[in-house]
Amino acid sequence: MNGVLTLLKWVFRIITAPVWVPFWILWKLGEVTGLNAVIEAIAMSTGFYVVYKNLTRKPLRLSLTMLAIFVAFTIYGTLTAFQNAFDAGVELSADDRLVSVNKINFTQPLPISYVNRVRPMEGVASVTHLNWFGGYYQDPQNVIVTFAVDEGSFFDVYGEDLVMSEEAKAAWLGNRQGLIVGESIARLNGWEVGQRIPLNSNIFSQQDGSSDWDFDIVGIYTGSDPQIDTNSIYFHYKYFNETQSFGGNFIGFMAIKTEDPDLNEAVIKQVDDLFANSPFETETVPEKVFNKGFIEQIGNIRLILSSVVLAAFFIILVIVGNSMVLAVRERTSEIGVLKTLGFTSPRIFRMVLGESFLLSIMSGSLGMLAAMGMIGVVNNAPIQLPTLIMTPDLAIEAFTYMALLGFITGIIPAVNALRLNIITALSRN
Amino acid sequence: MTKILSQIWVVIVMNITSIGQRIWMSLAAIFAVAVVVAVLLSFLAMTEGFSKTLEGSGSNTVAIVTRSGSQSELNSVLSRETINIVTTAPGIAKDANGDPIYSPELYVIVDGIKKTSGTEVNLPMRGISSVGFELRDQVSITSGRMFETGKNEIIVGEGVLREFAGFELGTTVRFGKTEWEVVGTFSTGGNAFESELWADAPTLQSQFQRGSSFQTIRVLLETPDDVSGMAEMVENDPRLFLDVVTEADYFAQQGEALNGIVIFGWIISIFMSVGALAGALNTMYTSVANRAGEIATLRAIGFSNTSAFFGTLAESIVLSVIGGFVGAMASYLFMDGLSASTLGASFTQVVFKFELTTDLFINGAFLALGIGLIGGIFPAARAARLPVIVAFRGAN
Repeated sequence: MNGVLTLLKWVFRIITAPVWVPFWILWKLGEVTGLNAVIEAIAMSTGFYVVYKNLTRKPLRLSLTMLAIFVAFTIYGTLTAFQNAFDAGVELSADDRLVSVNKINFTQPLPISYVNRVRPMEGVASVTHLNWFGGYYQDPQNVIVTFAVDEGSFFDVYGEDLVMSEEAKAAWLGNRQGLIVGESIARLNGWEVGQRIPLNSNIFSQQDGSSDWDFDIVGIYTGSDPQIDTNSIYFHYKYFNETQSFGGNFIGFMAIKTEDPDLNEAVIKQVDDLFANSPFETETVPEKVFNKGFIEQIGNIRLILSSVVLAAFFIILVIVGNSMVLAVRERTSEIGVLKTLGFTSPRIFRMVLGESFLLSIMSGSLGMLAAMGMIGVVNNAPIQLPTLIMTPDLAIEAFTYMALLGFITGIIPAVNALRLNIITALSRN
Repeated sequence: MTKILSQIWVVIVMNITSIGQRIWMSLAAIFAVAVVVAVLLSFLAMTEGFSKTLEGSGSNTVAIVTRSGSQSELNSVLSRETINIVTTAPGIAKDANGDPIYSPELYVIVDGIKKTSGTEVNLPMRGISSVGFELRDQVSITSGRMFETGKNEIIVGEGVLREFAGFELGTTVRFGKTEWEVVGTFSTGGNAFESELWADAPTLQSQFQRGSSFQTIRVLLETPDDVSGMAEMVENDPRLFLDVVTEADYFAQQGEALNGIVIFGWIISIFMSVGALAGALNTMYTSVANRAGEIATLRAIGFSNTSAFFGTLAESIVLSVIGGFVGAMASYLFMDGLSASTLGASFTQVVFKFELTTDLFINGAFLALGIGLIGGIFPAARAARLPVIVAFRGAN
């Protein structure tokens, strides 16, 4: 029986190691360097020492409460980074870029002749076209976002977001089978410049019936912002159009760069009016609107993620709140003694509140550190996901929540302690 | 032996009846477990509902023919010529005249407005014939009438009516330049076909400039599940680049699309359980500390430490079982039957309902029991090893 329990205890210690090991190391370092003594001296003179001593008097309860807060903030940090990455697709879309698709639905085609009719319009800086290829690499499950694009005008429209060297651009223009790939997808598949790879399409087939196309990787582009998704790959529309077996001279959609975002409305009207009442009517919208609509097709991701975070916060609110109330109630007679000794009520109020703040901020910060670790793991995992980032905004938001948690869980016991009458306090036991 | 059992029983009853004295701590533990179980069950109910909807769509008496490697109906294209060849394959059921029973179908995407978000989404519009209509199990017109051939008329599935705006009976909808009248609504027993708009295939071909091409054919099989005759012909004929699978297999594979969510749900729930576990341990250690005097008294009058152990363990398990039950009830009340839609494998919205089945409840029960067991075992060990004399001192 005892042997089993010791074993379980060790298992528990090892599982929770990420929580306590950093503390232990910090403490050891402090001991060795003498930093602990210095901190102690400062803490003693400020009253922080009493708060700290109160907090750590029951190490078991403290570590359990800390564990709960730690978990909640790890979940919060990681999921919010996910949410931000999804939002980035919308927030990072250029204000001066429009997307023009078939009015029936964006999967319906448009004639390629439309591009030349849009190009000379007033307010249009440049226009390019893209066609969804339905590409996959080696395994049908390994779907890759592949577009056949007009290589000549592609960087005129997307050049501010997607960055590639001039040599690579020249190499791409000069190679009919040239393929440019994003940094993330290249890393995921181990692709390098100069490599020749086959890609399959789950929509199109070549005239001989096969569905694989050969490509030369001529360049790897990066995003101008770390949150710009670089999981897409692009190749020449001409190569696609000449080899595929059906539906030639059609494109998926047009991407239009306007001279100024203020001209967007005018350009939208010109384009849509020009093709109204033709068999291929267009619907032109700012890229931001298009991307937002696309993400919302998947469902309300924001609602799911924020519900989970909310649930996690609710749990700790109840657990931490309870143990704070309990911790202070156990000290009733002590508080009575302190008051007898001349500690003012407001000072005791501050002491209790300080304790809950300290608890919340210490464990919350550790949780956010763990979230950064999780983000690193997710970013390096072999799955196609947008890059997750711990932004300063997110960190500030997290500290706000920690402060809020400290306040809510501390206020009731603090008020109780403030109001506590010395006589009741000392006679309660 | 019976003595020990009766001792254990007495202590268990004592502990549980005294929960009221530690009501706030106990409620906190119950609440934490309830939230964790509710989160897990909500994720599981979502994926279960989605895969049930798709699995329910496929029949094993129908085979679906798509262009080789296309993965979904949307990506497939079949020429009239291909259809003429493949429908002569053996294994296809014949009608009274000896003609094969098959339905060439068109699958295009049109825009609809999702009610909950007000944004444009992809809806599947299927061109079928009366044969195609008959090939669906449990299909029925629930209001209005069937579309007429040669006319711009559509019938809409009940899932579409539930989730998307603008398809009520009698309204006229515009897709690009073409106008269509909604003349009827249909049900297929809650499966994925209810997320679709159906129209006459030749009319759809001409209105969407599709020439004489189709996207898929569905054929009625002579023997359920047996596509070998067709598969063999496709393999031996160099003109055919096709995939033939039963409809049941086709949809079963599409139903796996959300399986990643199951893994995500489990990871999140287990992670949150660690938080809930901390709550449970806190509660139970407090309980043991509060009852130190009680435990010592029992030990002093001859109760074994085993009874102290099991008494504490039982208290922890009761708390988490109550929590698990509350969580399961909450997710049942709020989640079961909830209608939602997401992007399916064919790049169109699939309308589905959250479904909480008995199997899923068992998952929730395991999670709750796990928290109760681990959250009880350490405090129980402490209760069992509490030296009598120290306990008496601690009680004062």
